Amino acid sequence: MDDLSVAIPEGAIGLVGPNGAGKTTFLRLLLSLVRPTSGTARVLGRDIQDGVPLRERIGYMPEHDCLIPDMTGVGLVTYMGRVSGLDTNTSMSRAHDVLQFVGVEEERYRKIAEYSAGMKQKVKLAQAMVHDPELYIFDEPTTGLDPRGRSEMLDLVRLISNSPGRNVILSSHILPDVETICKYVIILDGGHQIAAGDMSRLLSGATDRLRIDIRGDPEAFVRRLSEAGFETEVSGPGLRITRQPGVEGAVFQVAKALGAEVRYMGAEVRSLEELFLDLVARTDAGGG
Amino acid sequence: MSISLPTYTRRDMPLLGRGHRIRAIITSGLRREFKRPAAIVTVGVGTLITTAWSIISVFFAPFLLPGQPLDLSFFYTMAANPAILFFVTLMASVIGSGLIADDLDTMALSLYLSRPITHRDYLIAKAAILVPLISMVAIFPLVLTPFLAALLGRFSWVIVLQAIGLSLVIGLLLTAFYASVSLFLSSITRRKSYAAAGVFAVTFGLTIPAEILSLATRNQSLLYLSPWEDFLAVARAAFGASAGPIDWPGALAILLGVTVLASLATYIRMRAVEVVSG
Repeated sequence: MDDLSVAIPEGAIGLVGPNGAGKTTFLRLLLSLVRPTSGTARVLGRDIQDGVPLRERIGYMPEHDCLIPDMTGVGLVTYMGRVSGLDTNTSMSRAHDVLQFVGVEEERYRKIAEYSAGMKQKVKLAQAMVHDPELYIFDEPTTGLDPRGRSEMLDLVRLISNSPGRNVILSSHILPDVETICKYVIILDGGHQIAAGDMSRLLSGATDRLRIDIRGDPEAFVRRLSEAGFETEVSGPGLRITRQPGVEGAVFQVAKALGAEVRYMGAEVRSLEELFLDLVARTDAGGG
Repeated sequence: MSISLPTYTRRDMPLLGRGHRIRAIITSGLRREFKRPAAIVTVGVGTLITTAWSIISVFFAPFLLPGQPLDLSFFYTMAANPAILFFVTLMASVIGSGLIADDLDTMALSLYLSRPITHRDYLIAKAAILVPLISMVAIFPLVLTPFLAALLGRFSWVIVLQAIGLSLVIGLLLTAFYASVSLFLSSITRRKSYAAAGVFAVTFGLTIPAEILSLATRNQSLLYLSPWEDFLAVARAAFGASAGPIDWPGALAILLGVTVLASLATYIRMRAVEVVSG
């Protein structure tokens, strides 16, 4: 990773980027498992080189399967609580508490080897919660889950991120998940930060342009509007047009002339996926 | 019936220190081993046989070891019991081989090292699971023998206390050697069967060829290759038994050197394992 300079506020933060973007290295840095070759960083007010004291305040949910199969759900979560520094009684009590929170009820006494993928994800979440950290790092928490399991997991992540005093870093390839949960996003590519900021600000486009979604031939639409003197371009599934007096009327006239249907005309709002693809394309073009 | 959103309480207890965290790994690891039939049988049978041999030797020394003077060198014959070698090797392979390899295989290492412990804490805890179990064979019978001999009045307490101290030291040497070698082998593979085979290879794959080649070539320095012969050389020197085919300083240096190198290599290997992978 190189050239990363970001101040992350409290709350839910999304970390997105293509494979090899540096997300994993970023998480390793946050967990103090690698040391930066240059530069400094602080997490929860502590230097990232602090290691053990820092990890006392972080709960990490790995992407891959990492549970000990011959332990029971409650046994594993209790064990991880003790390895985090909780005494045996507190750890046992909190293991039941967090397993109930994530929705692992009677199954908690069964061996993990017998769990479904969804149950395993919930136990992974519970073990990250057991020592009540201030910062949660979720690495692809919905990987391998069916739609219902994914929805349940996202609800849990959202509940945690909305709890006072708890912060979430959500690393995911599933951008709609990040978009619905996170208030702040960091986008990485090629080991560099290509965007970082408030989600709503990043997703809202330029105020001097309108976005138009049409059903019809966008190329013809653009040509007609350009001929009428309006600066227009095709953007993804729709068009972008510079705001100027008379633009709305011109759009409807062109639509009528072409027999096209205007499905949306208004402020330019992008999805995180559109923003991400746009930024990565720009970075690739700049780098190439 | 009212339905409420799931919630969980805030922790109000402070976190305990790293010593507590290491002990948690040790106690959990020992509990898991004592639930495994293979580990129970190995520890049980190994302890039983080596301890029984020590007791029988003390009781029936005049018949079993005719001509053996009843001085400090008597206790060398206890240390030279081949059953100790066999069961120490078996324990190191049955128990030690899986200690790290299982965590690599299940990727549970991510869970451990994302916790507030260091790589060194993790390795100390894993070694501390293995050491007491190996010492049930490598130390316990050796310490018990002089104690029993003293109770029977066969030896003076001066000799007995010396023997207990020496038994502890050489037993620890053997335990440390096998613990470090088996943990190193366990750290380089995800399959504990490979690590287990490696432990046997280190013991018998070196000892047997070294013995045969030494006899065939009449070159006794080849015996330095055998960890068992190295151990015997050190034990002979410690208990004042008659000199053997190899010198104890070289043998001790080999045992200590391999122990230290294997420990260092394990630590370096663990540092290199990627805990957070993407």
